[in-house]
Amino acid sequence: MTLQVLPRGKWLGARVKRVEDPRFLTGEAKYLADITLPGTVHVAFVRSPHGHARIRRIDTATAKEMPGVLAVFTADDVAPLPPLASGLPVEGLKPTPQPVLAKEKVRFVGEAIAAVVAESRYLAEDAAEQVTVDYEPLPAVVDAQRAMQPDAPTLHEELGSNIVYQKTTTLGDIEGAFAQADHVFRRRLHTNRFVAAPMETRGCISVYERASGHLTFYSSTQMPHMLRLFLALFLGIPEHKVRVISPEVGGGFGQKMTIYPEEVVVAYLGKVLGRPVKWVEDRRENLAAATHAKEQIIELEAAVRSDGRILGLKARLIGDGGAYSFNTASALIEPLAGAGLIPGVYDIQHYQHEVIAVCTNKSPVGAYRAVGWTAAQTARELFFDEIARELDLDPAELRRRNVISSEQFPYTTCTGMVYDSGTYRESLERALELVGYGELRRRQAELRQQGRYLGVGISLYVEPTAWGSEIALQAGFPFPSHDNATVTIDPSGKVRVAVSVHSHGQGHETTLAQVAAEILGVSIEDVVVEHGDTDRAPWGMGTYASRSAVIGGGMVALAAQEVRQKVLRVASRLLEVAPEDLDIQDGTVFVKGAPDRSLSMFQVAFAAYLDNRTRAEGEEPLLSATKFYDPRATYSNGCIVTVCEVDIETGLVRLDRIVAVEDCGTMLNPMIVEGQVMGAIAQGIGGALYEQITYDESGQLMTDTFVNYLLPGAAEVPPLTIEHLESPSPVTIGGIKGIGEGGLLATPASVAGAVLDALAPFDVHIERLPLTPERIVEAVGHS
Amino acid sequence: MARVSIGLTVNGQAVSAEVEPRMTLADFLRDELGLTGTKLGCEHGVCGACTVLIDGAAVRSCLMLAVQAEGADVLTIEGLSHNGLHPVQEAYWEHHGLQCGFCTPGMVLTAYAFLQERPDPSDEEIREALAGNLCRCTGYQNIVVAVRAAAEKLAGAR
Repeated sequence: MTLQVLPRGKWLGARVKRVEDPRFLTGEAKYLADITLPGTVHVAFVRSPHGHARIRRIDTATAKEMPGVLAVFTADDVAPLPPLASGLPVEGLKPTPQPVLAKEKVRFVGEAIAAVVAESRYLAEDAAEQVTVDYEPLPAVVDAQRAMQPDAPTLHEELGSNIVYQKTTTLGDIEGAFAQADHVFRRRLHTNRFVAAPMETRGCISVYERASGHLTFYSSTQMPHMLRLFLALFLGIPEHKVRVISPEVGGGFGQKMTIYPEEVVVAYLGKVLGRPVKWVEDRRENLAAATHAKEQIIELEAAVRSDGRILGLKARLIGDGGAYSFNTASALIEPLAGAGLIPGVYDIQHYQHEVIAVCTNKSPVGAYRAVGWTAAQTARELFFDEIARELDLDPAELRRRNVISSEQFPYTTCTGMVYDSGTYRESLERALELVGYGELRRRQAELRQQGRYLGVGISLYVEPTAWGSEIALQAGFPFPSHDNATVTIDPSGKVRVAVSVHSHGQGHETTLAQVAAEILGVSIEDVVVEHGDTDRAPWGMGTYASRSAVIGGGMVALAAQEVRQKVLRVASRLLEVAPEDLDIQDGTVFVKGAPDRSLSMFQVAFAAYLDNRTRAEGEEPLLSATKFYDPRATYSNGCIVTVCEVDIETGLVRLDRIVAVEDCGTMLNPMIVEGQVMGAIAQGIGGALYEQITYDESGQLMTDTFVNYLLPGAAEVPPLTIEHLESPSPVTIGGIKGIGEGGLLATPASVAGAVLDALAPFDVHIERLPLTPERIVEAVGHS
Repeated sequence: MARVSIGLTVNGQAVSAEVEPRMTLADFLRDELGLTGTKLGCEHGVCGACTVLIDGAAVRSCLMLAVQAEGADVLTIEGLSHNGLHPVQEAYWEHHGLQCGFCTPGMVLTAYAFLQERPDPSDEEIREALAGNLCRCTGYQNIVVAVRAAAEKLAGAR
């Protein structure tokens, strides 16, 4: 059996109901906050109310005397803990380490200054209110371009500037492209700062056993093994004495792949106090101090031929990194990832980009579904819409004239990405057909006569997925990225699959069980998938960047394939036939062509472990294999089309429907693929129309609740039509590509594009997202 | 802080306890009774994860104090079904109406209460009924499909 093509029988590719669901539906599932260990004490953090200030003095005396209070820790009390810095440094990025508790200065509202530990969270919060901090407020800077000016307030004085990275790269013959252009167009877009806002906030519990020196750390994290490594290094506990358990996790979307200052502090408190120490973030803390995302200022310039062919692009991407670039090059991830994907699905070989990362008095930036790519896609697609309008060309036609065609695969972009396969043009045509594009344009013209404004937005995208080492390099982040699976058949014939990728809603317990069941020829009910506990799962990087279907699916397939061979070898000795003459179906190993000569998986497994005659010299009794997978780069693609109507009097946008045609190669479970797409689209609607983290000029956070930070609800999301195209990757196991991010990568451009298309008669110019009613009314008024 | 005695019914069982007057109903259910199926997503009444039924009506247990539940009949997700899944839960399962599961108890209880009042709703009414429950994973479409399917299941059972 070659793994280039996976068998597709009963399980693989089927709409299997998720095996993990009953415990969520009954409320039995245990998330971090649901775990209470005997003797637990609780943490409340004292956080900065200022965007930028010097700390003159912290008085904890009153708080320490309050009932139920065990300790109040400030920077001086956590002196052994190193500041958080980029674990994997990028050349040219200036380090801006973040102390785990602020020392001397605070640089954003919500930065933790002290940790109060008490017998209950109520008492801890009471005491936190009694910690008094004497601040000397400093001028703040909350706009990235303002922060670049020499006279701007400087966050990290030792650097002398807020610019922590600046680099220009020229690809192809950019001057030649612009010399040949009939037209040169320019556009600036300042994308909004928005956040993952998982329904479950962050949280952790530190349990330290003094006698043995073992730390057990529960955390709502996407990457248990990486957290284990860094906790061991930061706390000076040998790694083999650290266990990280990530229980049920209520959504992550990238926000929970950061190793946070609070986690390090809580881990340390557990070690020092010798009691289980628990911290559960509240929503205000989450909006203020968990990582923010997606804010960039992108300036684009295009060299365009009069037939609509884009000859070359110049881009300047300024990432608003927030106060610290403290974790995996966080100030840089937005503009650097964005720069790589500006050409996207289009055949553009002449390109120059300048990437700038800037510190401002805001919460640091981290990953959020389609990091960097959302802003890049939005800027480019809205720009292409404008170019089409300028040239009086249909926006679909402009895309047709520039899109990479299927004959060009494998296609190497000027930024070094190798697109393996896909349906770029086909997804565009199919989406237009599904939405009834021609009829919509006719209807649009008709309605305009009646003073009604219908809009159609097209966002055609490619999505780097399967985050292994190769695609990481192609996307500009030269770090290794791979994972492991252990597949074991127990002596009674049941299957255990232990994986390092972590599920926080993606349904790995189902999809990865489908892979194992298909290859081993057993029922999915006889397979259990274990993840999220470093003592049970093999080492790996965790779940992020649409990697778990490809890497998880691939590594489980490899390990299951090896275990299958072991099963066949044992059965061949029991049945006295060659292994090649055997097959396995429905948990029965049988002779091909003679199905009555068979053994149950129980019989084979029992014999493998407990009957030494089934084992040749040197063979192991365990029916187990551990395999790693680091896939070649693969790219998913699709097209999202939005239809909306805009009320120009009130600025209200009514989304009529959204059509998404996606291609993620071989699907493990189409139901789960659709769930990923629909969820990401809803987040994209939020990004286009509702969600924005805002600060005032003094650095004060204006959006600290779900009353002023608006998430889309059921009434804001229109009916979604999802259709699949399936072009299996030629370079990954089974042809699987990833699916996690495309919806959020492409939807903001599609929705915002639809709104701007509706407003085309007014010749509006909008540089800021989201498209709130105020912005729409103002833009129409100014036209 | 002085404690107050309360008595109420939770999932059909009589409960009496002494609580601090400032303790929320959500914290009481979770921390004092160990009913952690009720989730806290925002603690300011927007997200709906903490939804429970009080005398049959869906309410936000984060916005209510335990002392206010004196004499009330409270239903949490743990009490919805004692043998297997309730038809509403089954429908969410069959139609992939959940992913991370964190909003699910509140979503299920909201839908359950809504369908008691409105057994044959339109999609638009379903979306309106769910408007106070935030989900960050599903994009809501499968939840709407699930609630419609649950309505059909419940109608079939009548």
